[in-house]
Amino acid sequence: MKISLNWLKDYVTVGVSAEKLAHKLTMAGFEVEKITAVDGDTVFELEITPNRPDCLNMRGMAREVAAILSTRLKPVRTSGLKFPSRPCDIRILDKKGCTRYIGTLIRDVAVADAPDWIKRRLGSTGSRSINNVVDITNFCLMETGQPLHAFDYDKLCGGKIIVRRAREGETIITLDGVERKLDPSILIIADEKRPVAVAGVIGGRDTEVTRETKNILLESACFDPVLIRQAARRLGVSSESSYRFERGVDYDAAGAGADRAVRLVLDCAGGTVAGRSDVRAAGKRPKSAAIILDTNKANGFLGVSLAPSRYKKILRQLGFQAAAGKKDTLRLRPPAFRADLKEEVDVVEEIARVIGYDNLPVSLPSVPAASIAPETRRGLRQAVRELLLAQGVDETVTYAMVSEKSLARAGQGEPGGVKIRNPLASDQGILRPSLLPSLLSVAAFNINRGQKNLKLFETGKIYTASGEREALGVVLAGRHEEDWRENRKGAFDFYDIKGIVEQTLARACGQEIRMAASPCVFLVPGQGVSVAVAGVTAGFLGKVNEEALEAWDIRQKNVFFAQIDLEELRPFFGKERMCRPVPEFPAVVRDVSLAVGIDVSFQQVCATAFRLGRGILHAVKFSGEYRGEKIPAGNRGIVFSLRYRSEERTLREEEVNEVHEKIVHAFVCELGAIQR
Amino acid sequence: MSWNFQEIRETVRREAEQISDPKDLEAFRVKYLGRKGLVQDIYASLATLPHEQRPVVGKSVNDLKNDVSGIVEEKIKTIKAGQARDPGEDIDVTVPGVTVPPGHKHILTQTVDDICGMFERLGFVVQEGPEIETEFNNFTALNIPVDHPSRDAFDTFYLELPDPDRPGRYQLLRSHTSPAQIRVMRKYQPPFGVIVPGRVYRPDAVDASHSFMFHQIEGLLVNEDVKFSDLKGLLTVFCRRFFGEKIKMRFRPHFFPFTEPSAEVDISCYICDGKGCSVCRRKGWLEIMGCGMVHPKVFVAAGYPEGKYTGLAFGLGVERIAMLKHGIQDIRLFFENDVRFLEQF
Repeated sequence: MKISLNWLKDYVTVGVSAEKLAHKLTMAGFEVEKITAVDGDTVFELEITPNRPDCLNMRGMAREVAAILSTRLKPVRTSGLKFPSRPCDIRILDKKGCTRYIGTLIRDVAVADAPDWIKRRLGSTGSRSINNVVDITNFCLMETGQPLHAFDYDKLCGGKIIVRRAREGETIITLDGVERKLDPSILIIADEKRPVAVAGVIGGRDTEVTRETKNILLESACFDPVLIRQAARRLGVSSESSYRFERGVDYDAAGAGADRAVRLVLDCAGGTVAGRSDVRAAGKRPKSAAIILDTNKANGFLGVSLAPSRYKKILRQLGFQAAAGKKDTLRLRPPAFRADLKEEVDVVEEIARVIGYDNLPVSLPSVPAASIAPETRRGLRQAVRELLLAQGVDETVTYAMVSEKSLARAGQGEPGGVKIRNPLASDQGILRPSLLPSLLSVAAFNINRGQKNLKLFETGKIYTASGEREALGVVLAGRHEEDWRENRKGAFDFYDIKGIVEQTLARACGQEIRMAASPCVFLVPGQGVSVAVAGVTAGFLGKVNEEALEAWDIRQKNVFFAQIDLEELRPFFGKERMCRPVPEFPAVVRDVSLAVGIDVSFQQVCATAFRLGRGILHAVKFSGEYRGEKIPAGNRGIVFSLRYRSEERTLREEEVNEVHEKIVHAFVCELGAIQR
Repeated sequence: MSWNFQEIRETVRREAEQISDPKDLEAFRVKYLGRKGLVQDIYASLATLPHEQRPVVGKSVNDLKNDVSGIVEEKIKTIKAGQARDPGEDIDVTVPGVTVPPGHKHILTQTVDDICGMFERLGFVVQEGPEIETEFNNFTALNIPVDHPSRDAFDTFYLELPDPDRPGRYQLLRSHTSPAQIRVMRKYQPPFGVIVPGRVYRPDAVDASHSFMFHQIEGLLVNEDVKFSDLKGLLTVFCRRFFGEKIKMRFRPHFFPFTEPSAEVDISCYICDGKGCSVCRRKGWLEIMGCGMVHPKVFVAAGYPEGKYTGLAFGLGVERIAMLKHGIQDIRLFFENDVRFLEQF
């Protein structure tokens, strides 16, 4: 909100410089965001927090300034008003939407330019002058905080004011010349026939006060904040009036605002009051409850030692009624315009604010040793992250919202995830069921910008109807980081993603990781596996299929993806690892080179070896694969070594040979392998 | 038997000059220092000498031994140095080294870890909460009234998941990390200090400084006698450690429904030292976090006995802090994940 320093001085004596006042206001909770000099005046741009609608006007700010500077408020003239007993024809049909409506009919006004002093005041805060009557309503709004509206009385059909909800299909052309569609969620002011204003938001053009206007009806009302907020949002209009009604206008202020405006109209535009009604939909508002303030407790809480009398003085300046109670307590009644003050702490804040937080002492809290267990989810995530970083994978952070359409295009059946009722955009309509859309989008973004070799991961949430789960996603695209010593600069393949995931999971949770060929949505058949941790399926990995690449606009073939549900790893995370003796006796290594049918897996080879290993075979190490002319059709060559070791003794040559021969024999007889 | 040590030394010197390769050196060493070498011979015959000669000859032979050893050591070095370089070892050491370069931790993660780490060292425990929340935890328990604008669909994402507590209403994506406070308080009894990092969501149109998803860190300390001065002290320690000892700070009264009194913490702009620049919008101050003393109604919602505890709470936006600290101009950079951005941190 903009306030003019000269205008403020109409209501309160300011004995300090503009800069000093700005600092004091900032430190009392009214941040001065900008100070500008305008024609011999100084204008402050203030941030008023939503709990202080009472300060969205000059009188309210003047009251704060008086408390902060310990000076007095000057009175405002509204005296000399006499109202006739003739009422206006006002009916409130929506009693929840409008709790009070004061209508004043003034006849024979002379609509002309506003007097210079009003123009100057309004101009300083950036408001355009229209005519004396409209300017007075704007002036009073700025002065008292009460939004006002003036109708051309002769244009109100039947001379009536009806406060009701709009009917389906009704429209209104508002002051800005826009025709707006109304509906029953919107509170309006209507005459006998049609809407004449959107209540509390904006007036209608047809009943606008112009230079031809002779008789006016002045509205000063109280509308429901929520209704006004919804109407303003629905219509896309925010006015000085709606801004204040949304935040709450004091029920009692309607009378004072009306009186002030009538006084000014009579003074500046002439005319006589010909009718007046004050319609209250609700009864008199109950008095605000008393608050007992224990000043000793407040002193302790703030770390100060103020006398009760000091409390009393500050609070009275803020409009409280304050009386001394027993044992340094105060019995307080907050002013009606301060709906935000309900409890003792609210009063303590007022004191702290006026004294200034910077004038309160500083201490260091003792942070107690809490018996709260650390988050294993976070620990696991950090462990996984460090392992991936060490393998050269970059971390990403991506949006949780994804496009339902892309998911449907790439996958099969229901996309899963959780639908958002009010998405910002149609391609951000669901919370992701998988990290794949997010990571493929990042890959596409980078590839389109010429970054074609990618190793990326994210640890983030995936969502299902039964809740959210923490997951790990990894994507590889393009080629390995260049190693200039290698002749072959390899494209990423299945074994890269497999290796990264296997290493990461095994290290993070110390469990056996098993992978089994399995058809997966999004993955190329034959290059997808499910991943199990300690026997429980936790995710999948493999080569991304063309449908998915197309759905996320990736024009590159070699893309690999893995997703692991980290919740499945949590039970194993953080377990103590027990030491085993370091092998004392040397291992004996035997290399094997076989040609096997392409349907024979390395896993079968291992299983065969271990079955016959008699407890001395402790590892099978794969060292290469070969397909080519030297291998019979339908076969492939594999090279690996068998490592024999005993924990009790050095193995004898004959002992190893015996076992090894049996194993190789089984490769030939059982698996149909040819020794090479 | 007698030895002319003078002559021997002369011979040694002459022979040593002739040595040019390791083979000669070894022969030289064996001749004098070997098991059957001259030095051993002399030692062996010492016993046969008259008593009075023994010390003199003993000293001479010791000197001889040291001399020869010294020459041998010396010759090893000169021979090695004189050898031609092995062509196989001859490489261009200016060609780049090779490694798997470690990946880059996202700058948001780094910022979260830095901030949480500081509070952990002060005794706080990191806790997390879910992103999908109920209206009760996200609003009601935090003293946010039923008709508050932040509950509107304009300010909060609602999901197609019915709210178990409120028929006809829906679960939502938390719009701040504060609901995690409620979860912690409902689970644990004070005293404790917790720090809660996490993602939050608000339906803001995306621009250089707004995003519908961002990160917050929330802190909460509850005990029987937490004072307003503790809040000031704690956050002063944090800001000095995080932003540098030189910064100035101020606590400005503000409004949050769940704290009372509430404040915003400003630090002097470290780009312009408080003189005013574009980063601080000419104010000289940067707003970096919100804080306050926990509102008694929040304790009531958490199920704590009325009036027993006081507490302090604070919250900050991770993106904002990271942007200020690292000169990042656009919030969208965090979520686009251009590797040329990621690799800078």
